[in-house]
Amino acid sequence: MRRRCTRPLPPSLSKRQNSPTVTGDAQRELALELLSSGSGLVLALFMWGHMVLVGSILTGRRGFDWMAKSLEDWYIAQPTVIVIFVLFLLHAVLASRKIPARWRERAELRRLAIDLRPHEESLLWIWQVRTGMVVLVLGSFHIILLALDVLTPLFGDGPGIEAATSLARVQAGLWLPYAILLVCVEFHASVGLYRLAIKWGGGARLSRTMLRVLERVLLWFFLGLGAVVLLVLAGAIPPPLQFLITRDIT
Amino acid sequence: MSRASPAGRRLTFEIFRFNPQAEQPQPHMQRFEIEETPYMSLFIALNTIRETMDPSLQFDFACRSAICGSCGMMVNGKPSLGCRTLTADLPDLIRLQPLPVFKLIGDLSVDTGVWFREMAASSEAWIHAKQAFNPNAAEERMDDELAATLYESDRCIECGCCVAACGAARFAKDFKGPAGLNRIARFMMDPRDERDDSDWFDVFATEDGVFGCLGLMACHDICPKELPLLEVYAYLRRKALTTARKRD
Repeated sequence: MRRRCTRPLPPSLSKRQNSPTVTGDAQRELALELLSSGSGLVLALFMWGHMVLVGSILTGRRGFDWMAKSLEDWYIAQPTVIVIFVLFLLHAVLASRKIPARWRERAELRRLAIDLRPHEESLLWIWQVRTGMVVLVLGSFHIILLALDVLTPLFGDGPGIEAATSLARVQAGLWLPYAILLVCVEFHASVGLYRLAIKWGGGARLSRTMLRVLERVLLWFFLGLGAVVLLVLAGAIPPPLQFLITRDIT
Repeated sequence: MSRASPAGRRLTFEIFRFNPQAEQPQPHMQRFEIEETPYMSLFIALNTIRETMDPSLQFDFACRSAICGSCGMMVNGKPSLGCRTLTADLPDLIRLQPLPVFKLIGDLSVDTGVWFREMAASSEAWIHAKQAFNPNAAEERMDDELAATLYESDRCIECGCCVAACGAARFAKDFKGPAGLNRIARFMMDPRDERDDSDWFDVFATEDGVFGCLGLMACHDICPKELPLLEVYAYLRRKALTTARKRD
């Protein structure tokens, strides 16, 4: 039971209380916040792991094929691609609940961010919305493509990812949407993690400046790694770590 | 940085004018030019304009020392206190507009009182005492650290700058806003208040409460009193989590 105040409110003040909070509102809002933040956190961490795994192409085709085959033989890749797609859509639905719907509101928010000389965190938020929308389109395409590759025999010899088909796809022109996706994803994820840390009180442990530095370091590291991976996939440079694999992997 | 800028700078003020009492009120920007003087604050500049150019110019000031909270205004798009903003820190062209969100009285004067009264009323932001006050009993002691935290929150002068800088408060009319969340947190922490976290839960853990926050951090960055607002929100978010767990 919610206890009322002992003194009755004057009628002019009690206006807002004509619409009392429906019980369960707070519980639902907390759940929505946790689900949208939690899905974002999982997706960001997955992205980094994913980047390291795709990074196996840096050791050449054999390393990449071995990595893909291992993940598929142990049935890690198949459920992951489905779970990630569900989380991806869930995050898009939940996180978008904070985006102003009307153009006028968006313009005002942008004006506000610029007028605050400009206010960097506000601008970062606006760019997070923009990159999020790009990721929703290009990321969906990428995940569906890879789901088809992992789960169906549509590409290459039977189900599963192979270096040969991946390279062929990227070289046929997918390097362009992938380059855009890479920049947008890395930006969206690192800024999102930074904001998440601030929201739940990470700024008290590490200072906000430290968190910003950490965000920048992670952003540039994974952006750099992603760029090299993409260049190798596009055939622009040879795999730089090929020397690591000197014998056949069985 | 030298606060006494070189003499002779000619400042151009573009000031929002709107008098709802006029027969045909027409909102517009009006230009005024004045000579800058050393250590000139917007308080001095606006009074100079009113005294020497236009006696009908409306703006609010009372204490001149960032305590009363009545001189909040948009200075080149940034919510600031007029009394502690020095022209030396501003460019030659200074645009002054009233704070958004609040009810406009005229020109730069807004009524922040209505907004703050409604916010305080809807969250019942006053002490709900445990027992009737006994003037003969000794005061209950409060932990030093807690007292300092409460005092930190109480430094809010309700100038409304944070509300004007808040992206969420601009569009969500019932959003409690940075100052409102700060006030709620202050009473949640106060041991003299009889309400427990579970009573507060429906007030602060909603879309009108802390979960309506976008996380733009502008409120924290522009607060003229430099209140630790980000820590307040983190406290509320964590409280929401622990309270929900306790309730189950």
